[in-house]
Amino acid sequence: MRPLSAQSSFREDLEEVVREQWEYRDLLFQLTRRDLVLRYKQAVMGFAWAVLVPLTNTAVFSILFTRIAPLDVGVPYPLFAFLGLLTWNFTASALRFSVISLSSNANLVTKVYCPREVFPLSAVLVALVDTLVAATLLVVLMGYFRVWPGLAALYLPVVVAVHIMFTIAVALVLAMANLFFRDVKYLFEVAITLWMFSTSVLYPSNVIGGTAGLAIRMNPMTAIIDAYRDALLLGRSPLTRDFALAAAVSALFLLFVAVLFHRVEFKFAEIA
Amino acid sequence: MRSVLFDHVWKKFYRGERHDSLRDLIPGALRTITSRRAKGELESEEFWALKDVSFEVKPGEALGIIGPNGAGKSTALKLLTRILRPTRGQCQVAGRVGALIEVAAGFHPELTGRENVYLQGAIMGMRRTEVVSKFDEIVAFAGLEDFVDMPVKRYSSGMNARLGFSIAAHLNPDVLIIDEVLAVGDVEFQERCLERMRWFKRGGVAIVLVSHNLQSVVELCDHAMFLNGRVCAIGATSDVIGRYVRDAFAASGEARQGEIHINSAELRHLDGTPVAEPVEPRTTLRVTVEFGVVVEISDVTFAFLLHRSTDQLTVYAREFSAQELQLASPVPGRFSIQFQFQTNLTRGQYHLDVFVKHIPSQRCIARLRPAGHFTIAENRTWAGVADLNVSATVSGLSIDLPSAVRPDTTYLPDPAAPVK
Repeated sequence: MRPLSAQSSFREDLEEVVREQWEYRDLLFQLTRRDLVLRYKQAVMGFAWAVLVPLTNTAVFSILFTRIAPLDVGVPYPLFAFLGLLTWNFTASALRFSVISLSSNANLVTKVYCPREVFPLSAVLVALVDTLVAATLLVVLMGYFRVWPGLAALYLPVVVAVHIMFTIAVALVLAMANLFFRDVKYLFEVAITLWMFSTSVLYPSNVIGGTAGLAIRMNPMTAIIDAYRDALLLGRSPLTRDFALAAAVSALFLLFVAVLFHRVEFKFAEIA
Repeated sequence: MRSVLFDHVWKKFYRGERHDSLRDLIPGALRTITSRRAKGELESEEFWALKDVSFEVKPGEALGIIGPNGAGKSTALKLLTRILRPTRGQCQVAGRVGALIEVAAGFHPELTGRENVYLQGAIMGMRRTEVVSKFDEIVAFAGLEDFVDMPVKRYSSGMNARLGFSIAAHLNPDVLIIDEVLAVGDVEFQERCLERMRWFKRGGVAIVLVSHNLQSVVELCDHAMFLNGRVCAIGATSDVIGRYVRDAFAASGEARQGEIHINSAELRHLDGTPVAEPVEPRTTLRVTVEFGVVVEISDVTFAFLLHRSTDQLTVYAREFSAQELQLASPVPGRFSIQFQFQTNLTRGQYHLDVFVKHIPSQRCIARLRPAGHFTIAENRTWAGVADLNVSATVSGLSIDLPSAVRPDTTYLPDPAAPVK
């Protein structure tokens, strides 16, 4: 083991993060399993919630944007909205679990050594499982509207990878921030709502102009959600300039955050 | 080769309230920017929990860390388990670290014992396959075979701790860090835990034990360190414990000026030579206690107590009344009392405690602790406190052994076998 002292290089730290995550991969699995098992034990509906929430929202917004203020999005609107909500909800719920992941596991953080990244990471994994459950409904909806994915769907793994990378990076930041400042979790609830309406979840980014439109297009989540629609609904390559930019930003952001997290994690026990 | 190395480790902590809401961030940050301070200097709210602490532990060795509350013992353990990092200096731990600290920290009350074993095992760094292969052993060691599929919220606190300890005990560590773990479970389970630790030690595991129970330090550790922010003493367990016990009483400073006080006490052999440690069992010693009387006082008794230093066990306690000592009522001035006693004790460290009690109020009005201390050295016993002078003799050995197991034919070592 590397001696514990004050200084180390970016590369050393990054290698250590990866090595520790590999050593403790079973812990990540067990923590994820714990949260899923608990949800199943404590809530009667279990995984049904994962499906119900995006479905209800899709119904509400479909009425809004097809009857009250019709919006042309190139594909059946319910499908457009459901895919947007499904992918957005992955990020939103992963972050909602992550923001409290360190503070709610304070007894472990202060008393036992384990790489602390596992707590926000398992929060992301739990959200991923929920999303996969809800994704079954997407298949049903696509069948109903007779929208068949073309060859572009082969790009899906790339899109998912970028999406997960970006979500993990933000999750690490929020988990850390909430440990240092306990009101981050309240601020988060406000921010996530604003963020959702600044993303192309319910309407395409091109329908809004001006500064608001620019904010929507600058947002990496817009590029990611648009890429899902390109690959699955519109049958075109998602590898646009915006998506490539979002991918590069996500990768760099994640590297930076992972090392930052690793460097401050030894302080967690002093403040948790 | 060494398993644990602390090399001039310093650790600083923040005493005051932290700014943990965003509202406090801005004024806090402004204060940091505007106040200039030399680097490395302590800010008013900071303090050193550990100052320049160095020690090492080799495989198969056990180090006991003792010291008063707030001495930095837990901080040292948290540095060893990598929960904290040193402010200055280095700490190195070679190999897998097993920590018998908060052994049930990862338990979730809603999950069953079985699910928690997997979870806690993973938290301690065990691979899933490892937990699978040791699962039955873990549950059997904890004695919870019938309860593994019950949610842990219905466990008693003892069952909880036993299961946690049992998981940690099956970790196969290279270094084992223990914090007061023997306080859990019943006597039988505690004995099993101690045996497990000795087994680890024999197997070459380096052990660091923090405990207020000095007796358990004596039983397990070859070396000890007396910590009080810095290293006050380090070396052979008995020396360090002796030093710690003396310091602990010196710090409590019970010099009270009242009607009567104890000026001094001297522990000597009968021939007047000072007690040079260690002392043989069944030696007669004499302690001379000098009292100073300020105001004439009556109705007092003089108490003589002998304690084992490592666990505060009262080995002997007796009160002598003034009548018994033919000391009618002490008048202002000085006088001495000589207490003579025999050290019918097993090996260990002992100290004397002398006090004066006022009978009507039942108050202790003067006390000297320790009024002397000594170490008994012998190698015949392995536990206990009183030297009962036991001997054992054999009689009636008239069994005719079958020739196959007769010692002279079978159990003699083979001369050709290599000597281990």
